[in-house]
Amino acid sequence: MSDRATGFQRVLAYAGLIALLAMVLVPYSYIVVTAFKTPGEIFEVTWIPEELSVDAWREVFAINEFHRYLWNSLLAGVGCAVLSLLISVPGAYVFARKNFRGREVLFYLIVGTLIFPFILLIVPITITWIQVGLYNSIVGLLIAFQIFAVPFSVWILRGYFARMPRHLEECAMVYGCTQFQAFYKVMLPLAKPVIVSVAFLSFLLGWNDFLFSNMLTTGDGPRTASVAIYVATAGGERIEWEVMMVMTLITGIPPVILYMIAQKHLSRTFST
Amino acid sequence: MQASEERWLIVAFLLPTVAFMLLLLWYPFLQGVWMSLHRWPFMGDPEWRGLGNYTAFVNAEYFWVALQSTLIYSLSTVFQLAIALVAALVLKQRFIRWRTLWRGVMLVAYAMPPVVVGAFWLFLLDPGLGMVTHYLIGWGILEEPIYWFSDGSWAKWIITFVATWTFWPFMFLILLSALQAIPDSHYELAEVYGANLWQRFRHVTLPHLWSALLVVIILRLAFNLAKIDQPFQLTGGGPGYETSILSVLVYRFAFMSGDFGMAFTVGIFLVVFTLVLILPFAWLFQRQFRPGH
Repeated sequence: MSDRATGFQRVLAYAGLIALLAMVLVPYSYIVVTAFKTPGEIFEVTWIPEELSVDAWREVFAINEFHRYLWNSLLAGVGCAVLSLLISVPGAYVFARKNFRGREVLFYLIVGTLIFPFILLIVPITITWIQVGLYNSIVGLLIAFQIFAVPFSVWILRGYFARMPRHLEECAMVYGCTQFQAFYKVMLPLAKPVIVSVAFLSFLLGWNDFLFSNMLTTGDGPRTASVAIYVATAGGERIEWEVMMVMTLITGIPPVILYMIAQKHLSRTFST
Repeated sequence: MQASEERWLIVAFLLPTVAFMLLLLWYPFLQGVWMSLHRWPFMGDPEWRGLGNYTAFVNAEYFWVALQSTLIYSLSTVFQLAIALVAALVLKQRFIRWRTLWRGVMLVAYAMPPVVVGAFWLFLLDPGLGMVTHYLIGWGILEEPIYWFSDGSWAKWIITFVATWTFWPFMFLILLSALQAIPDSHYELAEVYGANLWQRFRHVTLPHLWSALLVVIILRLAFNLAKIDQPFQLTGGGPGYETSILSVLVYRFAFMSGDFGMAFTVGIFLVVFTLVLILPFAWLFQRQFRPGH
């Protein structure tokens, strides 16, 4: 269809593209412009700053030490992805490819928790974290992230494992693999697309999280970029919008780059 | 009879997932159910109330206001779906130049933490210095600034709008991936049979997209209804209770009034509410695709 697209189809598609780009880019460009404005010009609606200023960029790193928060966000994102894979992959594999009593019930007990509002769990979690010494630590944060990362990872992983050819493990075992080797040497490499996809989506959950990072960390702890930005806006009388916009821009870049890398795997994962 | 080796594998593999589920999800959740049956003040002694909190909540004056704003807020899922579907269909086309670049561009809103996007819209929609009001007045559409976040009739639509703008790329991501997996030969065949644009969408695209559509609707309904940070940041749940969607209400009770009993009552109610909204889609999903078969 693509090669022989009619003129009408092309016009329609480009019109749609322009509308979408406007919807995303008009506000976004305004962030970029604002990031280079002087504090005095912030409150005038202009698209070309009279005076280009990089003061905001300097302030973000020199005074706000934003790289510290970015590093924490990176740890939070990567850690969330790794931990959620460690917890969900073995479970999802068994849920998809082994038969045992209570399988469906257990599976729905996990996936059903997708509808728990996280806010409901945050009070008991915070109290427990303080008691066991996980409060204000990156490990505690990563474990808490699993509350929303695991149920949805298990769901996506199980769907993919279930769609893989039926007798793969038996074949591997005919060739002398143990049960575990069949999983580790045959199934895991074949599941690379879904593993990369789940890692990417879990990374986003950790990177973008505000609720848990805000509740479970303090200023001198592993505070992430999203909390740092929020604090910068919610704090004083005068919000330094130009500084905020710089932080916003920087925080938005890593996920986009990761998406470019993960794109191919995502499309293999979400095909029926 | 399963080989004992296989049984060991099942147990060992299930252990981390199940242990996690019990300790981190079900234990605190059931604790919450228990707390919802009590008057449970912060730093005080709990007192058994049975279903008293629930009847108090359902009869409260803010109950219907909160329910209405929750329904409006969950409409965001529909708006997100519409935008994401258009975007996915457009950016699938081979004749679009620099497709990969545009796909990345579409993602920028979702790539930023929601509170960051929220702060940004607070700036853009500010009645005094924001871009939106500036242009609406400049073009003669508005006579005077609207206080978007504190005007009761606007506020709940504004938080819905910001949520839509923030979260639609998640749906786009998954829908586009599903579209890309449709083999070209299907479309070629449909063309040979003289199918027009709509027929090709209806009979080739939609069946391939069905599963992914249900996945994104279920996930986003659940995620949207649990959202708290962004709507709370934008309006604080006000004016009055106008934008106190159920999750914000939980927050208000737990962290502003210190009434954990009521907070968990609203929370449990929200779980049931979410379940009711999701069940039809979950049923459709289960029906068309049974894992392991």
